[in-house]
Amino acid sequence: MRQYGWIMAGLLIVVATPRLAAKPNVDRVARQIDKLLAEELFDDTTELAPKTNDATYLRRVWLDLVGDIPSPEHTTAFLLDPATDKRERVVRRLLAHPQFGQNWARYWRDVILSRKLEDWAVLVSNALVTMLTDDFNSGKPWDLVAEKFITSLGDVRENGATAIMMAQEGRTEESTAEFSRIFLGIQIQCAQCHDHPYDRWKREQFHELAAFFPRIGVRPVKSVMRRSFAVIANDRPDRGKKSNKANRRGEAEHYMPDLDNPAARGTRMQPQFFLTSAQLPWGTPDAERRGTIAHWFTESEWFATAYVNRMWAELIGEGFYEPVDDMGPDRTPSAPKVVGYLSKEFARSGFDPKWLFRVICLTEAYQRECRPRRLPDATPFTANIAQRLRGDQLFSSLLTTLELEENKIQSMVSGVPKGKFRGRGTPRMVFHLAFGFDPSVPRETITGSIPQSLAMMNTPQINAAISAGSRRRPTTLGQLLDTIEDDDMLTCELYLRALCREPTEEERNYVAAYAKSIDDRAEVYEDLLWTLINSSEYVHRK
Amino acid sequence: MTYQLQHHIRVSANQHGITSRRDFLRAVGIAGAAVGATSWTDALSLAADDLRKRQKACILLWMEGGPSQMETFSPKPDHKNGGATKAIATNVSGIHIAENLPKVAQVMDEIALIRSMTSKEGSHPRASFYMHHGYLPMGGVKFPTLGANVVHQIGNAACELPSFVRIGKGRSSGNAGFLGVDYDPLVLQSATRPPSNTKPATSEDRYLRRLRLLQGIESSFAAAEGIDLVADHRKLLDNASQMILSPKMEAFDIAREPVKMRDAYGQTSFGSSCLMARRLVERGVTFVEVNLGGWDTHNDNFSRVKTLTGSIDQPMAQLLLDLRQRGMLDNTLVIWMGEFGRTPTINARSGRDHYPKAFNVALAGGGVRGGQVIGKTDAGGAQVTDRPVQVKDLFRSIYTTLGIDPDHENRSHIGRPIRLVDEGEVVEELFG
Repeated sequence: MRQYGWIMAGLLIVVATPRLAAKPNVDRVARQIDKLLAEELFDDTTELAPKTNDATYLRRVWLDLVGDIPSPEHTTAFLLDPATDKRERVVRRLLAHPQFGQNWARYWRDVILSRKLEDWAVLVSNALVTMLTDDFNSGKPWDLVAEKFITSLGDVRENGATAIMMAQEGRTEESTAEFSRIFLGIQIQCAQCHDHPYDRWKREQFHELAAFFPRIGVRPVKSVMRRSFAVIANDRPDRGKKSNKANRRGEAEHYMPDLDNPAARGTRMQPQFFLTSAQLPWGTPDAERRGTIAHWFTESEWFATAYVNRMWAELIGEGFYEPVDDMGPDRTPSAPKVVGYLSKEFARSGFDPKWLFRVICLTEAYQRECRPRRLPDATPFTANIAQRLRGDQLFSSLLTTLELEENKIQSMVSGVPKGKFRGRGTPRMVFHLAFGFDPSVPRETITGSIPQSLAMMNTPQINAAISAGSRRRPTTLGQLLDTIEDDDMLTCELYLRALCREPTEEERNYVAAYAKSIDDRAEVYEDLLWTLINSSEYVHRK
Repeated sequence: MTYQLQHHIRVSANQHGITSRRDFLRAVGIAGAAVGATSWTDALSLAADDLRKRQKACILLWMEGGPSQMETFSPKPDHKNGGATKAIATNVSGIHIAENLPKVAQVMDEIALIRSMTSKEGSHPRASFYMHHGYLPMGGVKFPTLGANVVHQIGNAACELPSFVRIGKGRSSGNAGFLGVDYDPLVLQSATRPPSNTKPATSEDRYLRRLRLLQGIESSFAAAEGIDLVADHRKLLDNASQMILSPKMEAFDIAREPVKMRDAYGQTSFGSSCLMARRLVERGVTFVEVNLGGWDTHNDNFSRVKTLTGSIDQPMAQLLLDLRQRGMLDNTLVIWMGEFGRTPTINARSGRDHYPKAFNVALAGGGVRGGQVIGKTDAGGAQVTDRPVQVKDLFRSIYTTLGIDPDHENRSHIGRPIRLVDEGEVVEELFG
């Protein structure tokens, strides 16, 4: 299969596209990044955090790439593997795993749907995750993915690429703002009402960009069988008056509102791309408008940079630009040469997400131990930064630690309101509602909350899974209590299951002392498992 | 390092009634490394001089989306901008408000109405941020929201409930920012849904024992990689545990109120929220924020606002009456506001758009002199013609009412001094 792929690749190169030409060498690019970082940011006095040990590295790449933690077997095998290139190999193995696509599909679902205007936008959620899972797993170039999002049409429950327009209800200005924010990392919508105070963009430029999208609409699908919406394109001529429901029907052209006279129709805007000033004439059909702007977007240097910056921030803990979706020519990145170089190479790779993950995971910058988030005037990228797990990562971790099967469990948290369009929701969805967050928001502002702490500590379902269970129906812990007689071994096993590492000497002693104070062995290890799951280390990826 | 700095701020400033918290922490064995240099007993001794401020509390009724001033507190029946909304008399002679708020009109003697609020911020996120923080968003500084600043200053830590409770999640309403997780709001989805998962899965003894075990487990991650995270996590767990083990948890259960009282507030979402706000304040919570969305009436303004005013009229009036009857009103400041007002001109869709140039804020209790109107707009409501009040003036006044020095300086993460309010003047008429 793989070989066949390469042959195909060879053919395609001959035929036309340079897309599948040899990608930049992963090792070389990773080394170059570390070199540039040292040149740009570090000097003799810079204190760099040491390289992580293998156990930390393994849990980190698992969470980052497949959104889950390794089982004790995986961890042990990795720790015992004498190969010197085992880190590189595990990265490649994880990138080939189907959970890779799923993990990042869920991430982008959160990026898009965290900004939804109405609850019913979640109707697109499944189709979106399914599509992106396939795209990431098959290595679909990011520019082609972006073009799908920008140009899509059709039923939102069938075509996940409609997600951004669905989340914005087909509203021209809102959809425009999201396309720019997500794919270019530029928040030109701030210029929607007034010229931007800190950026160069003028109000007209925002509305000229919006003029690529006036013809889209999101309209309910007429069916008694199922509730859905569809993204439609309206290429009928200008109706000559202002419509109340432009977001449902689409309009021939975009009009910039007159701020002094909101009732008036405003100024008709010609489609023009603010970064290059390239234009399309009025009257251009929807397919050509969106196809063209999609192409102009992905050709822009900001397109590659936006993706690189976001992924770097997720994996290292801090972006070159912060917040990750507010970049642009008027912002100064923390390491201009590095971000410029990596973005160019990413474009040369054919916008291959897997290529980028391989590069970042091999850099020294990625492999450093974590340290608390730096103060603004301290040197960036001297350490990795521990990050709170996203809802899905935490949910998957719990399943792995407790050896629960996702399709056999009942909801793990209670007290989450049911959305009108969510129905009962799967246990994962319900958990995500309680623990998820908008990944575009600066991560240091995402803190835990009392309701989350209470859910982790006290939810009956989690506690049942933590308990030893009954003699007849032992839980995972119950079985371990039976099969592992040595207390110290059992402590190690639970540490491996929860934190993917062995306990330190100090921790072993601590647990042993605790065990002595309680005469029921099952209780001791129930307490330990509860404690490990409720620890700060458990809910962070370090 | 950040974490030390933050910790110092929290301990030195959180100087109120530490006793109860300390007892709790002793029960779970506080000896861990997460606690900084200042001991709890030191902090306790600092508490004495703040007794006076301690009983003050604040309830913020937040009207998300920007409520129309014309259909609430500033009707303009004689001008075309006013639409069909009529004005009615209140229990204070000379003060008229919109017909949509007949019950509020009967407690006007408790309300100080500012009709001349003015600002330049016309977008929801920025304006909501401004009206919650007294600052505009600024890269690099995580400003605390109003409620967090208030509980940081006068929060009653002797109360086992969180000092800051927000009912209904708002947008851009902020959290504790650089003050840290201790001052974050406890967010409830609604008043009819008390916090979930509040029963420990084991006996209380065993639960406390587990928390003690956790302290020792965390030391490895706290050694270098997650110093700050472990400390914050610990605080959350402590605050959560302290809350659920407290008998005051019943504050969240409005079903314990007599039916008559529930009816008086109205058994609606907003009515229940106002009732819960009173229950919480009564039991020592310092700041309660109640959110009511839906005010962004770009179309169909008149019927939509009518529904909204219908849902606030009775609860808001009853809240003031109830607080007064219980002798709590003098110490409880009630604020009614949203992020901006709405355009005086009515648009083509019978709607009103965003208008920060002239809008309303209503204040009551906490020592504010009720039964007065501050500021004026022209006949069409487009311009403030008398006594403009800026957002910073309002914030200065709110802090002052609560006995908090608006010039108090906090230190941000980077050690930069940040005053609670950096400009403006107190609106003296509020107290005159």
